[in-house]
Amino acid sequence: MHHNPISIKNLRYVYPEGIQALNEVYLEIAATERVAIVGANGSGKSTLLLHLNGILMPQQGEIFVGEMPILPRNLIAIRNFVGLVFQNPDDQLFMPTVWEDIAFGPMNQGLREKDLDIRIAEAMVAVGLDLEKYRHRQSQNLSGGEKKRVAIAGVLAMQPQVLVFDEPSAQLDPRSRRQLIQLLRTLPETQLIATHDLDLVLELCDRTIVLSQGTIVYDGKTDQVLSDRQFLLAHSLEMPLSLN
Amino acid sequence: MLLHIHLVEYRDRLSPHHSDRSNFWTSLAVHTRLLCIFLLVFAIALTPIGRWWTWAIYAIATLPIIYGSKVDFRILLKRMVIEFAFISVILLGTLFRNGGQLLWQWGWLQITTNGLTTLASVSIKAFLSLLLLNILTLSTSIPLLLQAMVTLKTPPLLVSILASMYRYINVLSHEFNAMRCAAKSRNFAPKNLYARQRQDHVWQRQVLGNMLGVLFIRTYDRGDRIYQAMLARGYQGVPTVIESKSGGWRDRIVLGCVMLIILLGQITN
Repeated sequence: MHHNPISIKNLRYVYPEGIQALNEVYLEIAATERVAIVGANGSGKSTLLLHLNGILMPQQGEIFVGEMPILPRNLIAIRNFVGLVFQNPDDQLFMPTVWEDIAFGPMNQGLREKDLDIRIAEAMVAVGLDLEKYRHRQSQNLSGGEKKRVAIAGVLAMQPQVLVFDEPSAQLDPRSRRQLIQLLRTLPETQLIATHDLDLVLELCDRTIVLSQGTIVYDGKTDQVLSDRQFLLAHSLEMPLSLN
Repeated sequence: MLLHIHLVEYRDRLSPHHSDRSNFWTSLAVHTRLLCIFLLVFAIALTPIGRWWTWAIYAIATLPIIYGSKVDFRILLKRMVIEFAFISVILLGTLFRNGGQLLWQWGWLQITTNGLTTLASVSIKAFLSLLLLNILTLSTSIPLLLQAMVTLKTPPLLVSILASMYRYINVLSHEFNAMRCAAKSRNFAPKNLYARQRQDHVWQRQVLGNMLGVLFIRTYDRGDRIYQAMLARGYQGVPTVIESKSGGWRDRIVLGCVMLIILLGQITN
């Protein structure tokens, strides 16, 4: 595992409509860290996450994933290195069956037959999905919690070193949310979690980054920032219920 | 075709394991079934008009497939009715043709023996083709059919597009239903759309048009997000596929029989 999997220097990004989404973002993520990225809607969280996987290319500044700068020639290796779990599993589960969907990433890596089966089985076990029960299930007939698990399994099957989650607890009922928190806690990979669920952040992440209007306004200990009511209100956030 | 979606979904609730060894038709390899239906539909559709005995032979060949597939006749009938409602507009256009003996005339509209023959021929072609295609999709799950297309060397990109269409058809129908519910909850009543006494039917049609427009834009946005999710898992523009195993001697015999029936139909008349 790389000791410093993500390094961002002076990242800026402006959308074609002229909206400044990211401005002077500096960030270092160490191996096995679990880091929360919080901020109001439109603060630039999703834009930042899309950069980490090379879906968006830096307009200005540099991003290093492992030793690799985000450049078109490195994109294949970068996407094997950073696994991105999208907010809405319906966007991510595009293959007809669970097995085919989880196989999508490993097949793009060139795996076939027995190696592919093993990789899929490992990923399904990691997220607590029964292989025989779910193998032929069709993606559209799964519950929200099951879809989220399959989406995570699809990314885990690529064996990335960094897992990036965009709103992982969105649209989940309390039990599915609890199961998700337990699952994320068991995963050994470096994790970046963009979320509005500050109670989840409090439970999972020691480090929190607060984004406001595309700029990092806080990078430090989670309990310190989440107990600062005035600071959170100033950036359109609220203290988590468990600290109220 | 939104009317048709719930019937497609009904089929989807069955697992792909439904194609077990419970009857002769479903014991065949999926690509054999696909090839048999494909060949028969082509033969039916490409037969020139007025070849009644040829279609009679193909209709007789369809009977064992209907029996062997053990499909639910109510679902089959519902599908056929809905599909025929859509194609009847096109079928009606074949009736008013020149040529042959004039049977009826009203203004510029006329029915001739030529028109009647064309209508009957195209209707038989459409009926038999739809019947066979519905039997195939009712007796075989869509993921298995897509896999069979890969085995039959269909271009992977085309199979991927079909798989995406299949995957998202009910997501779209759910989104449309959600919009309809949201409109209904604020007393939008499209059933009054054609009521003459309503003054606001123009506005209601605009609302329906807007809903479809929004659905289109959401589809576009979703397509964009799906593509991003594909890129994030290493997609490089060419879908990867896994080929399934080839069929056994029984599959080859069935295919041979289908070819013989097609030939027999073509040499009759």
